[in-house]
Amino acid sequence: MPIALLKFPTDLLGDVFKLCDPFELYKLSKCSKRTQRSIMLGGRKNWKIRFNAGSSKKVYVNGLHYNYDKNEVVLYVDNLIYIFEKAAKPEDVFITEHVGRGRNHFQPEGYMSIQCPDIDLELFSNLLVTFGISIVDRLKIDFRSFESFSNIADILIGRNIEIKEFCVEEAETRKVIDAVNYMPLINQMNITQRFECQQRFLRRYNYQLDTFPNKIIINWSFWFNIDQLLNNRSARIKLWESKLSNQDINMFFEKWKKAGTFPNLRYLEIDSIKFDNKSPILEMIPPIEQKRPRIEIRDGRNVIEGITDAVQVTKDDGTVGYLRVELGTNPRLYFLVANPADTVRYRHGRSGMTCDLLQMPIALLKFPTDLLRDVFKFCDPFEL
Amino acid sequence: MSSTEQGTSSAAPAEPTTAPESAAAPEVPESFYYVHGKDKVVHKVSAGALQHSALIHGMISNLGYTEEQAKANPFPFENIDGDILQMVVDWCNQHKGKPTPPEDTNLPKQKEKLFDLVLAVNYLEIKELLTYCCKQVAMMVKGKSPEEIREIWMIPTDAEDEAAEKEAKKRAGKEAAGETAAAAGDAK
Repeated sequence: MPIALLKFPTDLLGDVFKLCDPFELYKLSKCSKRTQRSIMLGGRKNWKIRFNAGSSKKVYVNGLHYNYDKNEVVLYVDNLIYIFEKAAKPEDVFITEHVGRGRNHFQPEGYMSIQCPDIDLELFSNLLVTFGISIVDRLKIDFRSFESFSNIADILIGRNIEIKEFCVEEAETRKVIDAVNYMPLINQMNITQRFECQQRFLRRYNYQLDTFPNKIIINWSFWFNIDQLLNNRSARIKLWESKLSNQDINMFFEKWKKAGTFPNLRYLEIDSIKFDNKSPILEMIPPIEQKRPRIEIRDGRNVIEGITDAVQVTKDDGTVGYLRVELGTNPRLYFLVANPADTVRYRHGRSGMTCDLLQMPIALLKFPTDLLRDVFKFCDPFEL
Repeated sequence: MSSTEQGTSSAAPAEPTTAPESAAAPEVPESFYYVHGKDKVVHKVSAGALQHSALIHGMISNLGYTEEQAKANPFPFENIDGDILQMVVDWCNQHKGKPTPPEDTNLPKQKEKLFDLVLAVNYLEIKELLTYCCKQVAMMVKGKSPEEIREIWMIPTDAEDEAAEKEAKKRAGKEAAGETAAAAGDAK
């Protein structure tokens, strides 16, 4: 028995939509523009979305687990996870399924899935609009269709949607001849945590990255010149296949040494065939290294970045950094800026490798007695 | 608890018959009120049952009617069909003084009446019944394709919406023109 839903008063429509799951709302949004506009009447949840376009492959997520990075859109809030997948057969389209157990750490409680005709930017933008999403947890795309990208960029920029992680997957270089047009749009996006570019660009253009998320990883970074490095405000930067030279890096360190510069920078890693032993970096001729135990930046128990056998360099304001430049077939620079709050320094003791927080005092005698005993168990007789 | 009788007007309702009270009758005599829908059939409902409806509860809470006054002044709900009001009254009686269980088996089952029932329940502000009804409406499209949803919820296509919008604009234009002409006529 059909029911003329759209004749319901607005608040009643909202009550019905509140009781529909995202898959029903998504299908409803496909019925007409009017229904798509109405869906928000059901109220706004803090939906987050991840979109992996392109080929499926295994990736490393948050330094924790291997995660199967499928071509899919994932919509989630709290413990509810809804996955939009591409249907293998036309007859499977819109079939939904509840999978009781997640396939990785991201889906510990299981998830719901729906088979869609296509997993593309159109679906992604449809979901962004339909659910009024304000945070994109991860957006992974390639540069094969500027028109599609431009459409989605309009929504992301126009609504100032936060994109925590933005990843450009590699496609054949000859298929992304207009890559230069993407950068101005990317620069207008609100990318906050991570920008990763695996795409190799054509060399005949200049590409400029003016967005500074917490972390930048560029696989083919020949275009990322010294000016871009000097103006960058990111915390962690990794540049592979760079064309930066000793002179460029020296210029960078001359600036870094001055107080107040690069306030966010914690880690820099550059791989460049132009690093050599011809000219100095901070008055040191590469290779720059010194036997020294490992130093790590940690977030709790997770290692964020680490550096071994580095030379200590000091900023005018007293901030300590650790620099290592290795030459050989794969010349590479590592630079870590220490912060007492999260940086640990390993040291070699009689009982093996131990680590401690840099310069971080701790009121040990305020520990309860049993805890003190536990700590003393790990000290060797000399320390005791 | 409830009873109905064909009434002729809201001002002079016929004496409704009363169903036998439940065995555990309250010590304080229960007050009753009377409601009728479009069909003028008057339903006698206890104040306890009517508490489910925020609208009616708000109306009666300060009235302090005597039995006679209540009988003489049934609440008219001219926008609600008689059979729908009957369903609502039945539900209120069944759930008098107790919350609705999550799986309520005493709920109206007539799917063909669902649209009118939802509107009536929404109007009468019966929260629990409204939630159930909305759930019923939402369940209608569970697992359906967009095309099936369009049919079940009678959703017009974009083209139909555009045509209806054009038509509405045209009608509004004509009405405005008519009003202007009438105003000009009046001025003459």
